[in-house]
Amino acid sequence: MQRRLTLLFVILVLGVVCLLPLAAMLGQSIFVDGRLTLTVYERLFADPRPYWTPIGHSLTLALVTAAGVTLVGVPLGVLLGKTDLPLRRALAVLLAIPLLLPPYISAVCWFDLLASGGLLARVIPAGAMESLSGCLFGLPGCLWVLIGAFMPVGMILTLVHLRAVNPRLEEAARLFARWPAVLRHVTLPLILPGILFGTILVFLLAMGEVGVPMYFRYPVFPVETLTQFSAFYDFGAASAAASPLLAITLLVLILERRCLRDKTYRLQPTTPPRKLLLIPLGRWRTPALLGVALFATATVVLPLVALAVSSVSPCAYGEAWSRAAASLGRSLVLAAAGATLLTVIGFFCGYLIHHRALRVWGAVDTLTLLLFTLPGAVIGVGLIALWNRPSTAFLYTSAAMVILAYVAQYTALTSRITVATLANIPRSFEEAAQVTGAPWLARVRDVVVPAALPGLVGAWLIGFLFCLRDLGASMLVYPAGQDTLPVRIFTLMANGAPSLVSALCVILVAATLISLAILGSLFRVTAARR
Amino acid sequence: MTRRAAALVALVVIGIAGAVAWTALGPSEKVVVVYVSEDEVFSEPILEDFERERGIRVKAVYDTEETKSAGVTNRLIAERRSPQADVYWANEPIRAEVLRQKGVSAPYRSPSAEGIADQFRDPQGNWTGFSARARMLIVAKGAAGNPTSIQAYTEPRFQGKAVIADPRFGTTTAHIAALFTVWGDERGKAFLSAMRRNDVHVASSNGESADQVAAGAFQFALVDSDDVSSRQKQGRPVEGIYPDQGEQDVGCFIVPNAVLLVKDGPHPEPGKKLIDYLLSVQTEKKLAYSDAAQIPLHPGVDTPPAVRRLETLKVMHVDYATVAAKMEGIQPLLKDWVGH
Repeated sequence: MQRRLTLLFVILVLGVVCLLPLAAMLGQSIFVDGRLTLTVYERLFADPRPYWTPIGHSLTLALVTAAGVTLVGVPLGVLLGKTDLPLRRALAVLLAIPLLLPPYISAVCWFDLLASGGLLARVIPAGAMESLSGCLFGLPGCLWVLIGAFMPVGMILTLVHLRAVNPRLEEAARLFARWPAVLRHVTLPLILPGILFGTILVFLLAMGEVGVPMYFRYPVFPVETLTQFSAFYDFGAASAAASPLLAITLLVLILERRCLRDKTYRLQPTTPPRKLLLIPLGRWRTPALLGVALFATATVVLPLVALAVSSVSPCAYGEAWSRAAASLGRSLVLAAAGATLLTVIGFFCGYLIHHRALRVWGAVDTLTLLLFTLPGAVIGVGLIALWNRPSTAFLYTSAAMVILAYVAQYTALTSRITVATLANIPRSFEEAAQVTGAPWLARVRDVVVPAALPGLVGAWLIGFLFCLRDLGASMLVYPAGQDTLPVRIFTLMANGAPSLVSALCVILVAATLISLAILGSLFRVTAARR
Repeated sequence: MTRRAAALVALVVIGIAGAVAWTALGPSEKVVVVYVSEDEVFSEPILEDFERERGIRVKAVYDTEETKSAGVTNRLIAERRSPQADVYWANEPIRAEVLRQKGVSAPYRSPSAEGIADQFRDPQGNWTGFSARARMLIVAKGAAGNPTSIQAYTEPRFQGKAVIADPRFGTTTAHIAALFTVWGDERGKAFLSAMRRNDVHVASSNGESADQVAAGAFQFALVDSDDVSSRQKQGRPVEGIYPDQGEQDVGCFIVPNAVLLVKDGPHPEPGKKLIDYLLSVQTEKKLAYSDAAQIPLHPGVDTPPAVRRLETLKVMHVDYATVAAKMEGIQPLLKDWVGH
């Protein structure tokens, strides 16, 4: 009963925060002048031929980006989380930095580096520079930037899920096989839900990406929604224009459920996890370190150097601080609050989905993923339609709207990380506690949460990073005079001095790293006391 | 640990409640809420001056290039049943006109608007223009054979050497629509076709076009005057050319800012004071001398040497309401043009 009531309450919260704004927006696409009609869809898709090319481009971009991120992020996660590679913590932090910056800013950094008058022009011959900057426009540039920007998603999720693997299974396998075989047949299958989720996540993120493809002149389908908003101010058509993206998300979900997810349940561990087993690299330590360092230099350090060089000016940091210190403070507080709320709601949703505790588990999973796919502007307008009323003005005109926007857009992240984490916790844990007569909430508090803690910390971290960089939905609902740092960076990008914008980006990266370092220390101290 | 987690959650809930209470119950007197499409880097100093000089706190929402500067317009439309803004400062009159058509604006004839030509005002007083940008050609400084007309986009000598911002968005759409209203549809379509044949490249924004010319990737681009002046302030080797100034030419397309009072906004009186301030000669002079380098619409306002006075320019004469209507009409054409 306790379990049912709690989960129903969470579903109610999700319904209010997530489903109603979505319904408000979809309602505008099917109700015209108070009548139920599909004219908006008919008008938009009467001649579907012009859409095939951009949809094809979006699919290509999303598929190759997702594949690239998985192929690069998973081995990196294994190297940094499962081996005795030197400097692995520092490298993990360095390689996670691209996630802090909106991909559009990365695109601008790369253009600054590779343009004919760019930074690299001083060290690379003109002919080679011309080829490089030529490659930047079109699909190759989009892929380079997006794989670099989303690679940390694959890497962090792999790191998080590796920590949840029961080492006893690996120890048993080690009796019969060498590490490569153990990784292939035990470790990686155990973290397959996490890897798969990372791939899907990146696929959806790349599908919805507009800024980078527009910058590199690669026509993609989500521009259609942007056009309906910015050229026609037609909310119904903008929502309708997002429907192909929603259909693709549904297709991905069906494929995932049918083909892959059930396979992972066969490998559930049955004993409690202990200390993480590390793979000794032996004579491969130095080459592996060099390889990772080279990769980090090419994908992370170079654009960061471009940012840092561009920010060097006598007063850029002073001006950046005076203009954006308040926005930075708000961003950190709101992202922390958003991540905490996302982790709590995501945990219960993940529990519901993993245990299929109520019949609506599939609907909850689908709803959160659909919202993740929707353009932020669509969610933002939905939230306005729902909450901007005299009776709820106290909420609408407050910073709580930004947090509601985070929850609406990003619950899929934390709920799916929870699902993958719970898949590695033996059901017998909770069953044993149940036998002792412990009520459900006590079982969750004393058994499930402690066992899932590494995954929940990872969920909080991912939620924090996504909230911190959010622009789409928060842009439309932040209270007047209370913007967040990404919003401020983007508003200043229009004709602002490049040194100022670069300094703001450097401040955003530095502040995030310092906050995470403080939180990491607190967590380690708490864990050591336990 | 779980207690700590519960305490953390409680802290977050209390924090959110505090933020809600602080925002909702904070002082509401002497406040004006303004939504701004003009670039923050230019508009924020003006709003800060207003705060300081008039003692009225300004709460602003700015727009971003990410939303093609249409974010706050959409927000105003979405909020129209329960408006939260008092004033909208648009960076071009087309958005203001769209908002008038959607019933978001209220008529207000500011005494500060005295002297601004009728061409730059809504006849019913729903919006008023001030400090204008000009649509200019940005070119490499001192280069020989630079273009002097937007017709250069169709000249064979510039084949593959010109770039233009995506015409589906922003002031580029307005400029193309204005050409259609002046030339007629047939000539407008022919111009677009000739541009396509001449291999004109498309950038995502005016700013990006300007950067690409400054980086030497293209010979010229059609951008806003503030894009030129900001690149010049950054020390980039570029200059701006006011196009089509010949006797038979169509003239330079002028894009004034526009300000409107939001219908049923929460603070109408401070809102009117802000509108009076924005439309004043003093604000126009500040915007002319700022990096925005905008052209004052009041006659006789002092300007720096780099900013031409309106009376010295050959201006393209258009009706902005007609241009707004035309913009919607040519969207399928522009979409097709970009698609090819």
